[in-house]
This record gives sequence, structure tokens and C-alpha cells, in this order.
Amino acid sequence: MAYQKIVKTIPVEKREDLLDKLLNLILKAKKENKMPSDLANTMLSQWQLGPLTTEAGLATILEAAVLLESEKTIEFLEQELQLADVAKAIKRMI
Amino acid sequence: MVKFGIEFVPREAYWKTIFYAIQAEKRGFDNLWITDHYNNRNVYVTLAEAAIYTKKIVFGPGVTNPYLVNPVMTAQSIASLNELAPGRVVLGIGAGDKTTLAATGIEMQKPLTAVVETIEIFRRMMEGKSVTFEGQVFSAKGTRFNFKPRGAIPVYVGAQGPKMLETAGKIGDGVLINASHPKDVDYAVGCIKKGVSEAGKKLTDVDVTAYTSFSVHKNLEKATQAAVPVVAFIAAGSPNVILERHGIDVKKVDKIRGALKAGDFGQAFGSVSPEMIKAFSVCGTPDRCIEQINRLLKAGISQFVVGSPIGPNVRKSIDLISETIIPHFKK
Repeated sequence: MAYQKIVKTIPVEKREDLLDKLLNLILKAKKENKMPSDLANTMLSQWQLGPLTTEAGLATILEAAVLLESEKTIEFLEQELQLADVAKAIKRMI
Repeated sequence: MVKFGIEFVPREAYWKTIFYAIQAEKRGFDNLWITDHYNNRNVYVTLAEAAIYTKKIVFGPGVTNPYLVNPVMTAQSIASLNELAPGRVVLGIGAGDKTTLAATGIEMQKPLTAVVETIEIFRRMMEGKSVTFEGQVFSAKGTRFNFKPRGAIPVYVGAQGPKMLETAGKIGDGVLINASHPKDVDYAVGCIKKGVSEAGKKLTDVDVTAYTSFSVHKNLEKATQAAVPVVAFIAAGSPNVILERHGIDVKKVDKIRGALKAGDFGQAFGSVSPEMIKAFSVCGTPDRCIEQINRLLKAGISQFVVGSPIGPNVRKSIDLISETIIPHFKK
């Protein structure tokens, strides 16, 4: 739920770019064991049922990216997408 | 119409492989093949996940072997998978890889006989009847399931040498050839045709499937760079007769073999030549890949399998194949 609230604050026009970058991060993440199996299953179910650009889909991917590659995720949010408030909200959570 | 398959080696966490499997299904691939090696994730666990998270893609081990997994257990695994995804399961079976088997202390005895006997036991088990069989490598003594299997399963035979290729044509519903170049496919199809005609079948009765080392990117250089490590291993593992078929200097490949053995991957990958890339991969921009796939189709394949590395970025390469290559062949 917390990540869904964060996603709601992300402008719609930035979501596709964000999803693309986050998917690259999680699919190339080396510390894949950090991914909880229930989160992985949620991601796969959402991916099977439709695009991940929905708020629920993006929230799952964002949560996974923070777990697997927190520094890179925050850096991308702050520097490339100029979403300092989103980055700050995530830093408070982790 | 040509079918498009995709192969994954389950060396990464299951959720990554299944993410790509779902993507492949969404993007129009017909078949999903998961390799079976003891040192990666288990093939049937991976396929069970694929069964749950996909709806129409056809899938199976590509390939399992009868030495590490007894034919009866292969039959049980496939029959169980076919309950999860009825009508979408195939079996890929081959003799296995000598080096990998040796690491487990298993000797590859009578590979041709072992594969033939496995298929015999497998098919009879799938009929749901009690199987009594006395072979040279395997036997079954009144073996049967306590459940009713859901019908026959297509069997694809992984084959390299002439005898296995011929046998695959004779008894297989499909043949899996590790080949990316028309010369190799041409040779294989010649052998398969012998088996097919011996069995009184037509070549079109058999799904001739080319397992390729594939790499696509809009930028040729990037596509090629991604293919280099895989090509180095393929070249090093190729018998000299195949190297000679492609006019590749055996001494250059010996250099790669030595470097790989010494763990000097920089030296090994740096020794991969353009001839090796051409012989052992389908690689380049989408247009270039289309040209190469066309040549393989002319040589006689009916299924094209996109295998490792797929591209510098697997997810983006699957999208690129779906947007540019598959539509060219499935207009």
C-alpha cells in the first residue's frame, strides 16, 4: 500500500520511463535472493494479467527495485526523473 | 508457417526466467524451451511455474537426458505438467552433455540406444498402461502410473551426430538441432530425411527445430558484442569436422579452448573471429537476422529458436524480435 501511495504522486507522463528503467534494474540485479517470493509472485501475476504500467504494477516494480537496488533506484528518481519528493519518501521507508 | 521458439537457461532466479516467459508469450512466441542441467535451477520446477503463469505457449524441457533423470521419472514429470497445462507440453530429450554428466559421475553409455529406449518407455507410460520393457540400457517391470495421463505428448529429439539425427527423423515428432548456420542445418536435414523416409513419413511430419545462438539489437556492434562469449564456448566445444565445414582455422579455436581452460575469458573472447560469429550465431540488426532466418528456412527448418544470449538486453531484444522479426514471417 505504501508504494501505491508513492506511485500516485508520480506524474503519469513519467511512469513509462520509470517502469522501463526499474525493470532493467531488477532483471539485471545480482542480489536476486533479496526478492521475497510473495512479491515475485505478485509481480508475475500482474505481468501475466496486463501491462505493468498500472499503479498496482508500478508499485510492485518500485518495491522490488528498492529491495534489490535501492541506491540506483533513488539515484535514478532524483537525478534522471527529477522526482526528489518520491526519492525522499522512499528513503524514509527504508 | 514457421514457429518461433525461445530458449532459457534457468541459471537466474525463477522469477526472472518466468518474467521473460510471460513476455515471450505476450509477444507472439509459439514455444518455450527450458534447458536441463544439474547446475542450474530445476527444469520441471521452472516449467511448472511457466505453466501457471502462461496460457497458450507450448513448452517443455529442451532437452533433458535419460542418464540424470530416469525415463520413468521423465514420464511422470511430463504427465504431471500436462495436467497443469493440458495440450501445451512437449518433451525434448537428448543424450546429454558428456562433460556435465562426467561431473556427476555418470557415464554416457550407448547414447543412441538410451534415447531410443527412453522414448519407447515414455510413450508407453503416456498411454497409461503397465509397461514391461527389457532394453540394453533401461528396463521397466510392470511400471505404471496410479493416475491417468492426459494423452500423447510430442517428443522432440535433440540430435547432433548423423546416427542420432537419422533416428530423430525416424522416431521423433520433432528434432532439435543446435545450429545457427544453413550449412549445419542442411547437413542435419539430410540425415533427418533418411530417418523420415525409413519410417514412411514426410519431412513435414517432423518439426525441424533450429536451436540458435541469437543476438539482436538495432546496433550491429552491440548485437555482435553480446554474442561473442556464447560463440566462444560453442566454437571451443565444436568438433574439428564442424570447424572445417565452416573454414575456421582449428588453431584459432585451440587458442580459445586453451584460454577458456585457463579461465582467461578476455583472451578467449578476444580470439573470436567474424567467421566464428557467422558460423555459430544468428546475430545483428533485425534486417540481418531476418536474412539469416530466411536462409535457415530454405535449408529446411520449421521452428526457429531464439537462444542465448538473445541480445544485450534480453527484455528489449524480445520486444524487438516481436516488433520487427516475427511479423516479417507471420504476415
